[in-house]
Amino acid sequence: MVSIKLDNVSLVYKLHEKLTLSAPDRRVAGPGGRIEGSGRKQFVQALDGVSFELKAGDRLGLVGPNGAGKTTLLKVLYGIYEPSAGTVAIEGKVDALFNINIGFRREATGRRNIVLRGLISGWTEAEIEEKMEDIIAFSELGDFIDLPFKAYSQGMAARLAFSAATALDPEILLMDEWIGAGDASFQDKAKRRMDELAEKAGIIVLASHSEALIQSVCTKKMTLRSGRIESFTTEPRTRAGKPASSNPFSGIG
Amino acid sequence: MIAALNGAVDDISKAMKLHRVWIALAHEDIGDQHRRTTLGPLWLLVNYVAFVGTFVFVFQPAGKDAAGYAAYVAIGLLVWFYLMEVMSMSVSLFQREESFIEGTTLPLFVYVMRLALQSAIRAGYAIAGCVVILLLSGPAVTSSWLWSGAGLLLILLVTPAMITVFAFLGAFFPDSQFIVGNLLRVGMFFTPVFWVYNGQGGVQEYAYHWNPFTYFLEIVRLPIMDGELPVHAFTVTIIISLATWAMALLLLGRYRKQVIFII
Repeated sequence: MVSIKLDNVSLVYKLHEKLTLSAPDRRVAGPGGRIEGSGRKQFVQALDGVSFELKAGDRLGLVGPNGAGKTTLLKVLYGIYEPSAGTVAIEGKVDALFNINIGFRREATGRRNIVLRGLISGWTEAEIEEKMEDIIAFSELGDFIDLPFKAYSQGMAARLAFSAATALDPEILLMDEWIGAGDASFQDKAKRRMDELAEKAGIIVLASHSEALIQSVCTKKMTLRSGRIESFTTEPRTRAGKPASSNPFSGIG
Repeated sequence: MIAALNGAVDDISKAMKLHRVWIALAHEDIGDQHRRTTLGPLWLLVNYVAFVGTFVFVFQPAGKDAAGYAAYVAIGLLVWFYLMEVMSMSVSLFQREESFIEGTTLPLFVYVMRLALQSAIRAGYAIAGCVVILLLSGPAVTSSWLWSGAGLLLILLVTPAMITVFAFLGAFFPDSQFIVGNLLRVGMFFTPVFWVYNGQGGVQEYAYHWNPFTYFLEIVRLPIMDGELPVHAFTVTIIISLATWAMALLLLGRYRKQVIFII
């Protein structure tokens, strides 16, 4: 059964002052959050006591100002960040779309990049081979699929990334708001695929600043602020099969 | 300590299961570096042969010492260039892989093996050139050449550990990228790459005996040049290799989850 359960999850990391020969500075890297402590004992509280539960079919929208912890939470769910406290229990095959360029090589063709993206995601060669034509067809790249990735526009790159990430029917799909790239017809198509994925009892977690997108896609909304949950509500979707605006993805990314 | 070692072993075993990823990426790296060039990766061979030729032309001693100098330099440069490339590329490894580290759940050792394989492929072209030079320059082919092969294998085995140690050094101490680069450029003159140590005193005596790179060179060079097994050089190299692996495992186990917060 596909599910996500977080219990009192916190992410705290020490603010490493890198050894350097230059004048000391703060060089903060990694996720956002609150900087606490002083002097050499500074640390960042990126997530603080986050608890929630999602079950099959849920579509959670993460909202909040920059640095609230949206992307950090997505990366905890994906397993990139290890929580400092609390537990994360995830049942289901997870895939993520954080950055369209990850896993893609500029000099390689789209076709070769599908292979590389598949390998990085842990697909077998047979799975890659089996899904190849579907991915190409869904991405609508046509003959461009055999051209180097660097020849692609941002929209074409996003189409390829989305097609590849959703090709193996992930049970849990985590997305940061990058999907604004691409034309309106592809965005509609992408949204239909997300609908299908959720209807197949999957879970979608989407971080966005766009209320229109959240209302159109999500059934639940979590507002984060300084790494804490400010509110967690069930969102009545603004439409039954129709977007809140003519293009819910516009102005994103 | 035990937890750190378990963490490191876990990271390494996951990376080994994902061998298709780092093999594919390493091949892409080599292809990208030479895309649209006429000779492609054969440039690696040309560069190596040109270096050896230049060193032999400039530094070849007169008289009976001239015999075998080409072979001496060919092996010295083969090993030295390999070690230099591995170390200089390693100190910036995690910074170069930042987008992958921040966007995927690949174990860190995948990036280590990607660089290790890439370096081995590049060295393969130099080895081809080296073998040709050895066959042309005269050292008799004997069974002791197999010890040179064992020496090369030992260097390959310690490579992932070297990469790990230098990658963590570069992540926590960014200035090390420049310090290591400069030290390696200078280090070539303090290592018996192209100069021959014949028991003379002075700086060369210290540079020969107290420079760990000497032993990495000698385990490959002495079996071919002298036709014997250099027991002392092998012993020192094995000790250095074990120490490097111990350090690599501790760093990987202890700090692999922190790397994402510091790059």
